[in-house]
Amino acid sequence: MADNLRALLGVRQRAQQPVRRVAEPVALPGRTIAPGVQLSESVESWPPMPAAFDASFARIAETIAPERLLLFDTETTGLAGGTGTRAFMIGVADWHEGRFRERQLLITTLGGEEAMLDCFASWLRPDSVLVSYNGKSYDAPLLKTRFRLHRRACPLDGLTHIDLLHPVRRRWRGVWENCRLATAERQLLRVVREDDLPGSEAPAAWLGFLRRGSTGPLHRVARHNSQDLRSLGGILGHFVAASEGDLVVAEAASLATGVVGQTFR
Amino acid sequence: MNALPNPLAQRAVRADGALGAPVSGGDQLARRLARRYADRITGSFVQPDREGRYAPLPGDMPPALAQALRSRGIEQLYDHQAQAWDATAAGEHVVIATPTASGKSLCYTLPVISAAIRQRAKALFLFPTKALAQDQVAELLELNQAGDLGVKAFTFDGDTPGDARQAIRLHGDIVVSNPDMLHQGILPHHTKWAQFFENLRYVVIDEVHTYRGVFGSHVANVLRRLQRVCAFYGVSPQFILCSATIGNPAEHASALIEQPVTAITESGAPVGEKHVLLWNPPVVNPDLGLRASARSQSNRIARTAIRAGLKTLVFAQSRLMVEVLTKYLKDVFDNDPRKPPRIRAYRGGYLPTERRAAEREMRAGQVDGIVSTSALELGVDIGALDVVVLNGYPGSVAATWQRFGRAGRRQQASLGVLVASSDPLDQYLVRHPEFFRGAPPEHARIAPDQPLILLDHIRCAAFELPFAAGELFGPQDATPWLQVLAEEGVLHPEGGRYEWIADSYPANAVSLRSVADGNFVVVDRTNGRQTIIAEVDFSAASLTLYEGAIHMVQSTPYQVEKLDWNGRKAYVTRTQVDYYTDAIDYTKLKVLEAFDGSHAGAGSAHHGEVHVARRVAGYKKIRYYTHENIGYGPVNLPDLELHTTAVWWQLPQRALDQAFDHRQQALDGFLAAAHALHIVATVAVMAEARDLQKAVGSGDGAWFATPDANGRAQLRSSFGETEAITQGPFVPTLYLYDAFPGGVGLSAPLYERREDLVRLARELVQRCDCRSGCPACVGPVLASDEQGDTALKSLATRVLDLIIAL
Repeated sequence: MADNLRALLGVRQRAQQPVRRVAEPVALPGRTIAPGVQLSESVESWPPMPAAFDASFARIAETIAPERLLLFDTETTGLAGGTGTRAFMIGVADWHEGRFRERQLLITTLGGEEAMLDCFASWLRPDSVLVSYNGKSYDAPLLKTRFRLHRRACPLDGLTHIDLLHPVRRRWRGVWENCRLATAERQLLRVVREDDLPGSEAPAAWLGFLRRGSTGPLHRVARHNSQDLRSLGGILGHFVAASEGDLVVAEAASLATGVVGQTFR
Repeated sequence: MNALPNPLAQRAVRADGALGAPVSGGDQLARRLARRYADRITGSFVQPDREGRYAPLPGDMPPALAQALRSRGIEQLYDHQAQAWDATAAGEHVVIATPTASGKSLCYTLPVISAAIRQRAKALFLFPTKALAQDQVAELLELNQAGDLGVKAFTFDGDTPGDARQAIRLHGDIVVSNPDMLHQGILPHHTKWAQFFENLRYVVIDEVHTYRGVFGSHVANVLRRLQRVCAFYGVSPQFILCSATIGNPAEHASALIEQPVTAITESGAPVGEKHVLLWNPPVVNPDLGLRASARSQSNRIARTAIRAGLKTLVFAQSRLMVEVLTKYLKDVFDNDPRKPPRIRAYRGGYLPTERRAAEREMRAGQVDGIVSTSALELGVDIGALDVVVLNGYPGSVAATWQRFGRAGRRQQASLGVLVASSDPLDQYLVRHPEFFRGAPPEHARIAPDQPLILLDHIRCAAFELPFAAGELFGPQDATPWLQVLAEEGVLHPEGGRYEWIADSYPANAVSLRSVADGNFVVVDRTNGRQTIIAEVDFSAASLTLYEGAIHMVQSTPYQVEKLDWNGRKAYVTRTQVDYYTDAIDYTKLKVLEAFDGSHAGAGSAHHGEVHVARRVAGYKKIRYYTHENIGYGPVNLPDLELHTTAVWWQLPQRALDQAFDHRQQALDGFLAAAHALHIVATVAVMAEARDLQKAVGSGDGAWFATPDANGRAQLRSSFGETEAITQGPFVPTLYLYDAFPGGVGLSAPLYERREDLVRLARELVQRCDCRSGCPACVGPVLASDEQGDTALKSLATRVLDLIIAL
């Protein structure tokens, strides 16, 4: 039957190409915490945040302590949407003991997804405040679908969520050429990415690993994701400083977080 | 019975002067037509009126629902509605197959609303078109309002705005959609519908007789996916299906959902008397045996009926014919532009707003004559009609009754007239009224395991939920398909599972309605406008949108100036011409691989894969009313190619040399035999006539043969080039093939029944009343060809005798 199908489809030749596994000396990012799941962690110093800030810039009537914040950003297998798209990397950052902590979960097998989701869920507390860039429409629904497919309640449900895209749009729409994260970080944080893997190439990088075992591009995906998290922190810092009413502080915060790009590994 | 005077009848008479006395019902019109045109009516019969059979409202129905029914004037149920209630209450899957307008929708509305009231259970309704879905929701809302039931029903289709979707997913008790939306919009996002699926109790599928052939095979696979997703959420909903009358409702319904189904087929609804006339246009040229065209006759009958004040619906076989007939009727009834139009065209390809407007006008009784394609065959609510005229046989007994069923008021006799075209099938039926009267309705068939259709849906299903190795999809082990998809790189096998990893949304690449997709839009550029006035599906584009074509919308002619094939756009301008255009197309086949073969008399029969190339070579300009051919134009479009399956018969050169004086004779015989075989095969497998095609050519695709104007074979070596028949090896081949990529499963049963078919074809030819051949058996013949043993009839018999198994 399969042969018959191939004949009908004309895929026979392609099927016969041997799959080459590229032996690369590069190790996977991070350490293995469960079968098929890698975790990378790093902690760095960061310009100080106020003990609590007013989140009304994000139209949230709440005063929020930075320890509650959980910045997140996913790398996915594509933009097609629906049940067939998954996150293969979940990057999370928070202020841990006054320092900026990044944690990245990466799956190296499809079977690792469940453990990755459980680990991510374990980092969330009932009072966690999510911070993302376009995460309300993209990352959160996508993760919700993945939790659903693994028959798990979605731990993001009901959490306060600051999606920085919206305050950025409200403030700078029509001023900047667009409100993408890359634009916001360049304008506010002076971040210029060098040798950055474009987000659109992330799916191919991961598939390349899955099919051929090539790990090199995965490190570039991890760096890209890490920069996204730092930029999230920087943009948030900008709004927090501005909402303290101190534009000078805001400006200083911007300059200070300029380091974010430079200290980039 | 006809006590109420028909005000429309009087108005019609006033408007048209003394053109015929008013007639108050279909029975009187039938008698009048029978008197005046006795020689054209080959069959006439009457279905007597029938009293209704009733049952009380079920005692176990929620009181609020019973109250809502009573407040809408429903004090009791028809017998079949009560049966449906009992069967669904017993937990059975049910199919209700009763005639048009017998109150089928209550059969599913009642259990669904009861479950919604009692358990907040959810239901999914599927209709083949958006228009039907909207009708249904309107009806549900009225019932809901009448009883203040608190049941929320919404349509969910491509027109549903994005901000309403979330609310519908969460709060809809009844979601009314279509198979295409289920396939592309709901299943691939099933996690967003988790709450809906977890509480899904009923799936209602109306008009299941339309889900046959290719479309039905796709729908059956969408239902497999639906049941797979339901299983994920731990539910197995009960199915309630409805169908127009077909020969195998239980079998067909059960083939669609792959579970046993209880059939309810006896309608308890009362029906008025129905008159049926079979009408053969008169012979206008006795020498050539030519008859007047069906369109002239349909036009005449419709004119008479409308003048008599009867609401009349004409069904035409093509969009082109809808426009031509509309123009003819408008020329008579709509010549005063200050008055609202009395004649309306209705067909696919109009923009939705235009169709809705037409439906509203029809319901309101503002339209006296409607010309439609099969689009109105379904349950679109257009109010009551008196007369239905079929311009040509719709291809099946079931569809004929379905269309006739459009006419009929409870208290008044209705009339259905079938006007035969020159098509052989039509001529056969109209000359054998006993066949039509006695024929059981055809069987609906699907081939859900057709490999390419299956591949499409396993692809979509893998996107929705991962496959475990060895998992069944329908009755099939999905593994071979999963392997092919893994090789293609869209699935990743790991740990005994196949998971979707590609960055694509496969459902968007799979169209349920036709295999090739990409609609063409027709853009009006008259006086610098840029307005989309119509849509044409891919398969029809090359036949209707070539440059130079006259494209009609509500019988207004537009000329195609430019066709952007890749951009799927046709640019047209308004024009004034007295002709319409008709494409000339050729088809060529080549055998790729025989799956099976056997002796067939002196020759052989085979079943296998073929390559079909179809080319539109040019078009004819045909003048209105006289129908004379006033010119040709060239067409330059890419060939439509497809790989499909076929059954074919071949005879070796030696056998042919013995049986025929020369090759021309043999080829004439092949074409004639193909004609007869195609007729019996179409009837045998309930193919849509367009799903099953015939051809005669050489097995290697070197040449193919088409009949010329005299019904004699003309050999073409490539598209358009004619050639002598004397050279080279000569193995004529007679093909019957599925007109769909990959085939849809028609040719396999034909191969199994090959001996039957040849025998039936031979009987058809032999028993035909004609002397030497006619459209009803071997195709039209010239009078000059009517002598002895070279007549087509005798040549066809010779070919059939050679391939008949002894």
